[in-house]
Amino acid sequence: MAEPRKPTSSSIAARARGLGSARHGSGAWRAERLTAVALVPLTLWLVASLVALGGADRAAFVAWLGRPLSALLVILLLLAAFRHTALGLQVVIEDYVHSAAKIPLLIATHLLCFAICVAGVLATLSIVLGR
Amino acid sequence: MIIHSSNQVSRFRLLRRFPLPRGFGVLRESRIEPGRHWPAPAGAKRTKTFQIYRYDPESGRNPRLDTFEVDLDECGPMVLDALIWIKSNVDSSLTFRRSCREGVCGSCAMTLDGTNWLACTRFITEMTDPASVYPLANFPVIKDLVPDQTHALAQYSMIEPWLKASEPPPQQHERLQSVADRKRLDGYYECILCFCCTSGCPSHWWNGDRFLGPAVLLQAWRWLADSRDDAKGERLDALEDPFRLYRCHTILKCTRTCPKGLNPGKAIAEIKKMMLERTL
Amino acid sequence: MRPCSPNIQNYRPQLTSVLSIANRITALISTVALVAFVAWLVAAALGPVPYDALYALAASPIGRALLVIATFVFFLHLCGSIRHLFWDAVVGFELRSIYVSGWVAVAASIVLTAAAWLVGGFFKG
Repeated sequence: MAEPRKPTSSSIAARARGLGSARHGSGAWRAERLTAVALVPLTLWLVASLVALGGADRAAFVAWLGRPLSALLVILLLLAAFRHTALGLQVVIEDYVHSAAKIPLLIATHLLCFAICVAGVLATLSIVLGR
Repeated sequence: MIIHSSNQVSRFRLLRRFPLPRGFGVLRESRIEPGRHWPAPAGAKRTKTFQIYRYDPESGRNPRLDTFEVDLDECGPMVLDALIWIKSNVDSSLTFRRSCREGVCGSCAMTLDGTNWLACTRFITEMTDPASVYPLANFPVIKDLVPDQTHALAQYSMIEPWLKASEPPPQQHERLQSVADRKRLDGYYECILCFCCTSGCPSHWWNGDRFLGPAVLLQAWRWLADSRDDAKGERLDALEDPFRLYRCHTILKCTRTCPKGLNPGKAIAEIKKMMLERTL
Repeated sequence: MRPCSPNIQNYRPQLTSVLSIANRITALISTVALVAFVAWLVAAALGPVPYDALYALAASPIGRALLVIATFVFFLHLCGSIRHLFWDAVVGFELRSIYVSGWVAVAASIVLTAAAWLVGGFFKG
């Protein structure tokens, strides 16, 4: 099912070698695992907090988020989660997309993850600083 | 429910294949057509039905699925024995690789009942009814059950699977290795390069042109773990690539299917750990 | 051109491959849930009107059902990911450990989902 990339030479050995080793890849693997380790306690804390909040109206939610500790942990969670998501989505796109759409998709993914992360951090800051 | 050894056949037979359309992602020349039915010989008491993938490159037609009824009283207990019986008594054009008939050469690796194994070490009684015999998954087919492994073997030669020592061999004796160092090769040197693991790896299905696959990476670890080898740096440099090594997502179908009970998933994890060690 | 032998069309699903693709599918759905959480934060920052609109969506029967499913999907990804982190430390690679840890991950995510929803009642802020 994998479409073969255009071989630069018809030799089978050359096709297996491809363009050579990229000499990188372990950095992204490390970052994905580091953010995952950070996310385990952060997401458990978030789920527990939201459960404890129950059916909170806006005033209660803003009061909870306005506390410095909650705001800090939410911002850390957003930063780690979007880094983890961007890396993970890059791996998924590289796995399944082999056409010319791959690079535009990767660019869009990284930019969107960054933008939505900044939106979330700004929203949290505006609540914790504005109250 | 709990598998403790790779030669356990799955008891859970509810889902035979992933719930995808039968022709999902299949190119036109790979579509399988219905084939001939070969009935059991007269007077056969115990028979079993085998559905076998056939492809004749000279016919110009698509692959087909032939149904054979095998007389179990006339052939040995293994699936390879059934294939040899079919070739000797029913259809001599059935083509497959085989050599040692004892599970050490790796020639008869096939997809049996949807999982990869050696035909010579799979009992007929462990197969479902009808038993399905396909060539090793995701390889180009040369004829019938014979896969074209040239690309996988080219990937194997690319990792330079030989000893690279910085000093010439000692004059008086062999290159010495402690017992502990020799133990580090156990579970990796026994690989017979049957490619059952690589054939079952979904990452190799989708990216097999660039991802090396579990068999090749297990051998790469065999050389990285060898205390007599001095080229660890250049071996790791060659592997450090988002596709060559890091397409492995620890799916672990390789470990589940290895007919020799080896653990390619663990070998790959060890490579990644060694890759981490040289950066920290 | 030589035909290609069937791969996913013919290969038997096993716990290894099923839990692995489940980890990936739950990751993608959790991404959607994460974006929804950011939308929730932005709505809270913008004022009572957008927040109450989102709150009404979440409190509706469909909203609540989606939240329960999203919680289960997220916990499945969390437990599967912890299993992956053990593998990255080269722990638990024997076949028996792979299968036991797989079933434990599925059971743990069911238990965690039940705990979250039974403790929190049926409202989720």
